Amino acid sequence: MDAKKRILSIIEKRVLILDGATGTELQRRGMPQGACPEQWCMENQGIIKSIHKDYMMAGSDVVYTCTFGANRVKLSQYDSFNIQATNRKLAELARDAVGENMLIAGDIGPTGRFVQPFGDLEFEEAVDIFKEQVKGLLEGSVDLFIIETQMDIQEARAALIAVKETCDKFTMVTMTYEEGGRTLNGTDPVSALVTLESLGADAVGCNCSTGPEGMIPYIEAMKPHASVPLVAKPNAGMPRLVNNKTVFDMKPETFASFGRAFLKAGVNILGGCCGTRPGHIKSLTGVLDGKRPRPPRKKAISALSSARKSVILGIGSPLVIIGERINPTGKKDLQKELIKGKTTIVLGLAREQEEKGASLLDINVGMPDIDEAETLKRVIYALSPLISSPLVIDSSSIEAIETALRIYPGRAMVNSISGETHKIERLLPLAKKYGAMFILLPLTDKELPATSRRRKEIIKDILGRAQEIGVDKSDIVVDGLTMTVSASPGSAKETLETIRWCTRSQKLLTVVGLSNISFGLPQRKWVNSAFLAMAIHSGLSMAIANPSSTELMAIKMASDVLTQRDKDASLFISYFATSDQSSGQKPVAKEEASPAQNVYMSVLEGNREGIIDHLDKAIAAGMDAYKLVNEIMIPAIMEVGDMFDRKEYFLPQLIASAEAMKKGFEHLKPLLEELTSQEKGTIVLATVKGDIHDIGKNIVALMLRNHGFKVIDLGKDVAKEEIIKAIKKYNPLVVGLSALMTTTMVNMRDVIELARRHGLNCKFIVGGAVVTRAYADSIGAVYAKDAVEAARVAERLSS
Amino acid sequence: MEDTRYFHNIIIMPPRDLIYARLGYRRGKTKVDDRQKEEIERAIEQAQSFMELKGAAKRIRIEKITSSEVVLAQGITFDSRQLSSMLKDSNEALLMAATAGNRIMQAIKVESDSGNLTRAVILDAVASETTDKVLDWISSFYKQELVRQGLNLTSRRYSAGYGDLDLKHQKTIYDTLGLNRLGVKITDSYILIPEKSVTAIAGIRQAA
Repeated sequence: MDAKKRILSIIEKRVLILDGATGTELQRRGMPQGACPEQWCMENQGIIKSIHKDYMMAGSDVVYTCTFGANRVKLSQYDSFNIQATNRKLAELARDAVGENMLIAGDIGPTGRFVQPFGDLEFEEAVDIFKEQVKGLLEGSVDLFIIETQMDIQEARAALIAVKETCDKFTMVTMTYEEGGRTLNGTDPVSALVTLESLGADAVGCNCSTGPEGMIPYIEAMKPHASVPLVAKPNAGMPRLVNNKTVFDMKPETFASFGRAFLKAGVNILGGCCGTRPGHIKSLTGVLDGKRPRPPRKKAISALSSARKSVILGIGSPLVIIGERINPTGKKDLQKELIKGKTTIVLGLAREQEEKGASLLDINVGMPDIDEAETLKRVIYALSPLISSPLVIDSSSIEAIETALRIYPGRAMVNSISGETHKIERLLPLAKKYGAMFILLPLTDKELPATSRRRKEIIKDILGRAQEIGVDKSDIVVDGLTMTVSASPGSAKETLETIRWCTRSQKLLTVVGLSNISFGLPQRKWVNSAFLAMAIHSGLSMAIANPSSTELMAIKMASDVLTQRDKDASLFISYFATSDQSSGQKPVAKEEASPAQNVYMSVLEGNREGIIDHLDKAIAAGMDAYKLVNEIMIPAIMEVGDMFDRKEYFLPQLIASAEAMKKGFEHLKPLLEELTSQEKGTIVLATVKGDIHDIGKNIVALMLRNHGFKVIDLGKDVAKEEIIKAIKKYNPLVVGLSALMTTTMVNMRDVIELARRHGLNCKFIVGGAVVTRAYADSIGAVYAKDAVEAARVAERLSS
Repeated sequence: MEDTRYFHNIIIMPPRDLIYARLGYRRGKTKVDDRQKEEIERAIEQAQSFMELKGAAKRIRIEKITSSEVVLAQGITFDSRQLSSMLKDSNEALLMAATAGNRIMQAIKVESDSGNLTRAVILDAVASETTDKVLDWISSFYKQELVRQGLNLTSRRYSAGYGDLDLKHQKTIYDTLGLNRLGVKITDSYILIPEKSVTAIAGIRQAA
């Protein structure tokens, strides 16, 4: 029986048992530290063969070849190797050990380098590196492939593509997740599943980094979305440090006892990783004997992914906004930037749209005189490490789409595939190969259909062609074809009917390019918003729109509630709660409080936006400016200082209050001439020579000014001579010195000694992360641990 | 001795607990209302968008350890009793470095200069804590490789300028790792620029 069929047949009835650890087992059996495992195995064939055999005897259905590091990058640090021959040989050793009836998995591990855009290894080079291994393993007659311990989703993709472009063997991909449930590169299990399953992985899962208990939640998270079997290969518990040695000491029985929990979570294929031994596999086999695993979903889900996030799509889910603004049409600055090969504006547009609520981002770089494929690649590489939203590749260039789909580190959607012959023939197979979703545009070479009747016919035709090559309905989103009502008054009705039919009768997801509906009309936002509400009612799944439009987003949120997509209105409530706060609409001080109380609260609560208004109201109500400062604002900032001391306030609140105070004081200045001419004294501040840290000093300056001192801030990295010069010029009451490093702190002593030699008797206050009271005493200075204390010390010294 | 590995585009979620703690937040004591929390969270997200996290690391064989000195291959020497003690069971040292890049420092300066010290101080805290986390990231990366070689990493690491490891050794690490390739400079007083850059040394020893 073909290995693939055999594996699937086993999984239907029971859990497929993998082997346990090879690396730690080789160490136990004598492999010296620092040895190249692949080379050592070829020189000690009996040992690796005995490991394979022991796992087989313990009950493994599958043994992994000892080729985890048998790629040209890893092996380059040892002697020169023929990569293909090494992989072939190690596969042959496995076969020799376990015979013809066992399943042998060609093991492909990471190269140790990250693949672009997350590292410096070019994608095609990565694919080539893995193809070299794959060819050798195929020559060694492996039955399947395992791509394991992947921390970089892009490297996992490169390896999977390498296998899929070389053969048709069953291929499993397991990622390794850190504490916190993401890979080192930030990929979570569901995003990895969406990406790898759609790219053609036959099984997906996780291995290493954690014991069984820590791995079960990852399987649980993936199971509802997985239409492929799930794999788990945990370590023998978490390693413990015993006398500075790493020990995996989870006993076989304990390890195996998690078998039932894995079964319940939904695992289909299970083994062991670091620290596990044949005994662990034997116990596991015993626990799982006769137990039927939960099968994968029959139908694949509709989902898109980036390296860090997945978006699950569904009829009846809240409408998904696809941000439309990364499009050079009409944007001269963006056009110039793309031609120059820069991506700053693109990044800014992406971030802004994400912030405003777009779940997906449409990327269009099409314009004359540009290499669209190369530009699209550059934009994808710029966005992928920094932006979480999955991308929609919007292009009419087949070459550009192919380039993008190959290197995109997630599952993308293609915008779009129409019924035009060249697109169907070339883009459908590409979408299938790279597992992309696509927007189906119901038009042909010959017509742009005006009626929903004709659109339905085209949709059915394209759907049929897609299904012929194995594309599922769940991979498709139908564009309702929005036309401008100013030119075609009946077009909105036709689009809405198309959406309704797709949703209700065909169970297809739908999308519209929203702003097309209102082209040529004034006050477009109202037409767009009304159309959106109607389309949501008709079943629309997604809209390509501008998420910065507050009217549109408000209509979307409200329509989701009314159509029960946002079932308990939680998204609606949360959306408007956040919008109110960020627009500063929520009043801080109570309206029924007196004007003076409002001023007090503005300082206390750091209300920089509202304090001017409250001060004006207080003045208008007849309050004296001097009283406002002395009896309201200063006591408020003193209270802030006390709350900071008690840890009821922390630094951002302290500074916000100080900034509110400063703003208020500046506003009242014209009314306070006499007061401002009675400043308490001058203080010179500086960060000493050699030190560039100044944020602490800046906070001290703010607090001192709030307390009525004139502050001369000399900045950072200030030579002692400059400080002396400033003392002579300004005759300060106090000099404040700041340093953050032990090496620069010593310069404080130099400053004070130089001042004394010049006959200057001013007081010095010192502070900074490494400065202590004892050090301050030793150099004849006063210590202040923070800005609040600095202000108090200055007050004391001035009185 | 392996070549230096450079890591670009490191993705780390800002460690909120550590950021809040750095800003003086005390659970159960500090009271933050919704408006203030929203402002802080927006600043944290803004900081994340400005940081360009990069790292570098290199494994180097330890040639000799005395009670006060560690000598690595190619004569690289560190004089520190505390470092010697930490590395006493190790066969190799792992030198590492991390930087948050220049853009975040520029953003802090812009906020500071335009009077938004509240935001500047939050950006500063995010950058400091996240840069430290890059060293954790590099450690996790190496641990994955080391476990299969029967090796592990010391649970502690030392940075120049702490304990008795003089700051001058920062230059040694800077030169050995070639940190100029990450856009990092070093001043005459051994301070790394951009400011949110750190170096550290850990030990690699036999696992079991």
